[in-house]
Amino acid sequence: MRKFNALFDAIDSFLRTPATVTATGSHIRDCVDMKRIMITVMIALCPALFFGWWNVGYQHFTVVGGMGCAISFWPCFWYGFLKWLPLVIVTYVSGLAVEVLFAQWRGHEVAEGFFVTGFIIPMIMPPDVPLWIVAVATAFAVLFGKEVFGGTGYNFLNPALLARAFVFFAYPSVISGDKVWISGGNDAVTGATPLGLVMNGHTEALPSTWELFVGTIPGCIGETCKIAILIGASILIFTQVADWRIILSVLVGGYATALLCHVSGLCPVPGYQQILMGGFLFGAVFMATDPVTAAHTRVGKYIFGLLVGILAIIIRVLNKGYPEGMMLAILLMNIFAPLIDYCVVQANIRRREKRYSQLKTTRR
Amino acid sequence: MNKPLPIHIKKGLDVKLDGLAELQTLEFPAAPFHYIRPSDFRWLTPRLLVAENDPVEVGTPLFADKQDERVVVVSPVRGCVRQIVRGAKRAILALVIESETNAAPFRVVDVPMPSNSQDARTLMMQYGLWPMLRQRPFSVIPNPDAQPKAVFIPCFDSAPLAPDYNQLMEGKEVFFQNGLKIIRMAAGNAPLHLCVREGADNSLFERCEDVQLHYFQGPHPAGNVGTQIHYIDPIAKGETVWFADPQDVALIGRFFAVHELSFEKMVALTGPAATTTGYFTASYGADLTKLFKQEWGREELRIISGNVLTGAKMEDFPTVRFYDRQVTILREGGQREWLGWLLPGFRKWSFSHTFLAWLFPRKSFAHNTSLHGGRRTFMMTDVYDKVFPFDIIPLSLLKACYIKDLEQMVALGIYEVDDEDFALCEVVCPSKMECQQIVRDALYELKMNS
Repeated sequence: MRKFNALFDAIDSFLRTPATVTATGSHIRDCVDMKRIMITVMIALCPALFFGWWNVGYQHFTVVGGMGCAISFWPCFWYGFLKWLPLVIVTYVSGLAVEVLFAQWRGHEVAEGFFVTGFIIPMIMPPDVPLWIVAVATAFAVLFGKEVFGGTGYNFLNPALLARAFVFFAYPSVISGDKVWISGGNDAVTGATPLGLVMNGHTEALPSTWELFVGTIPGCIGETCKIAILIGASILIFTQVADWRIILSVLVGGYATALLCHVSGLCPVPGYQQILMGGFLFGAVFMATDPVTAAHTRVGKYIFGLLVGILAIIIRVLNKGYPEGMMLAILLMNIFAPLIDYCVVQANIRRREKRYSQLKTTRR
Repeated sequence: MNKPLPIHIKKGLDVKLDGLAELQTLEFPAAPFHYIRPSDFRWLTPRLLVAENDPVEVGTPLFADKQDERVVVVSPVRGCVRQIVRGAKRAILALVIESETNAAPFRVVDVPMPSNSQDARTLMMQYGLWPMLRQRPFSVIPNPDAQPKAVFIPCFDSAPLAPDYNQLMEGKEVFFQNGLKIIRMAAGNAPLHLCVREGADNSLFERCEDVQLHYFQGPHPAGNVGTQIHYIDPIAKGETVWFADPQDVALIGRFFAVHELSFEKMVALTGPAATTTGYFTASYGADLTKLFKQEWGREELRIISGNVLTGAKMEDFPTVRFYDRQVTILREGGQREWLGWLLPGFRKWSFSHTFLAWLFPRKSFAHNTSLHGGRRTFMMTDVYDKVFPFDIIPLSLLKACYIKDLEQMVALGIYEVDDEDFALCEVVCPSKMECQQIVRDALYELKMNS
């Protein structure tokens, strides 16, 4: 039975808090642990998810029944839920299998990080993505994004985004174009996302700002409703689970660049609409704030966030091949985060050396 | 003299805990035994100077430091060495001294007033007062030949349930001032910094002459000597700073002023699980079983010498350690809770706001010794920053310490910190990292290599 230690431990500590007491150092500890942090992130994701269920159904029935037909709430919600359920089951089974195997092999506890990763992956996929692709992408992300580097905490790329990037580059037809964003759509009706419309120059067909904000538009399951994402953001900020510095600086960097692009005539879309389109806000709130893969230093977080925002908009506007720049911007900055931290740490070292030498001079 | 502007510590945390010591003196009859433990002194390797059944006086050297045999630890009472308790590899765990009943808690020694630094140091070493001084970096007993750049006396404590210094120092003012003079002389006239709490009654410390007073305000660790050194005169590589507890300064002063060699200090009995709280007088190592008859030996309670952040659990010997001025009694934790991570948590204390208890900030919490989670890797990268008031990046330093990268540790400021400075990081860490142990091990590695 020892072979299943990791699994038993994981289930045991999932059901009941561990019985361990402090042995060295401080005798009292904060009640918070990684499980609590992760459940808080999942709670923050729920508003976007619930809206996503409804919106998947809403988009489906709009296309199937045609515009103007009466669409009631519960069938939409139920339809979206049934689309999401197999996705999430496949993600958890495939990801947790890799996670548990590695935990057993390495002899450590199963880390909770995957609960959030597995929750996010279905939310950043189109509703009709084939399940086997999700399974392969998740296993790839957990294996090569995390486990080969030592597991949760040692990874330098956001695993959920890596899964999406894997699908994006390995199976582009299921995650790009006009046909994939509406569940059960047919070839006759296109359901281009706002970003797709902008890329192809159909800015006249763009949804209104209000629609962009509310989220009744085609897109990934979790990314469309900006109100729900902002509710999630406020939960994360109030509970101090996510760092507001990153969210703020991504928004500032993104908005400033989008404004600049609009003013200079590079992009016809106003700055504020860029923020509301695609996965920008979802990425800023739930992906860029991943404490492991973002910059670790306080100043580094501002730089990291600003660059994510700037790069996301630059990729969107200047690179016509990739309408959604947020995923690539965050992944790219994940790679550069250690470099940013290195610079900040060096600056701190120099500052302190200067202080020592100043104090020495004043003493003399 | 104009009062200097207070130094405001912004980052930190005051852990709310029941059981602050009441301002009352507890009856504590003379302890029948004293347990003198070499482990009270960091990294001291003892060479025994007494054998079992040897009679001892107050001030009889018990063991010397193998690295420098001039540094000795002495008996705090008159009596007889009853037992030398040894552990694995014959390491000395404790010397059990049976105290003589009705013996005076001090010894009169005709000692001359020292006239220079060397004199002062020699006399302090000879009579076992030298270990009362400690040196940063490393918080070890100072090298008797080294010259410190400054001396710090932290005159308040900000740790949870910290004792009131006016209570501890009652009636010791003259001795304290005399002790400062001796320490200044021993330190070769290095500047003497007294750090007090802004807004508290500091009249006792304000009356001292030839000292630099600094006022601190803000949450713990404002009272930690490491924080105070960092804000006033940070330590660079190659520099040393001395620090001492005000009560120890008073004991040094008493010895040279009235020639009474005594090691009796006032200690606070605190903690949410203590049946009574208050202050009592005892020498270091005193057997405290008579004091907490109701608490000692109960498995559900943990008796700690020191505060809940940095203290040591008393298991075999119910004593107060050499440098501690507080005993804390806590309830043991370890109770398992169904789906604990999922519940709203109205009664759970957390620095983060992930439990609903943060909406009711005035409530006191039933702290126990539960770890509240499993050990993970460093994940919440910004949490240490919020409680660590140094201009040092705590996570980077901890990681350097973890992998024992000595060069990087030095560059990141290891000389300025001690394990106690990371106590709050350890408390709030959701990954349950043993931050203090990591820093302590790294400091040991550094000391061995320097």
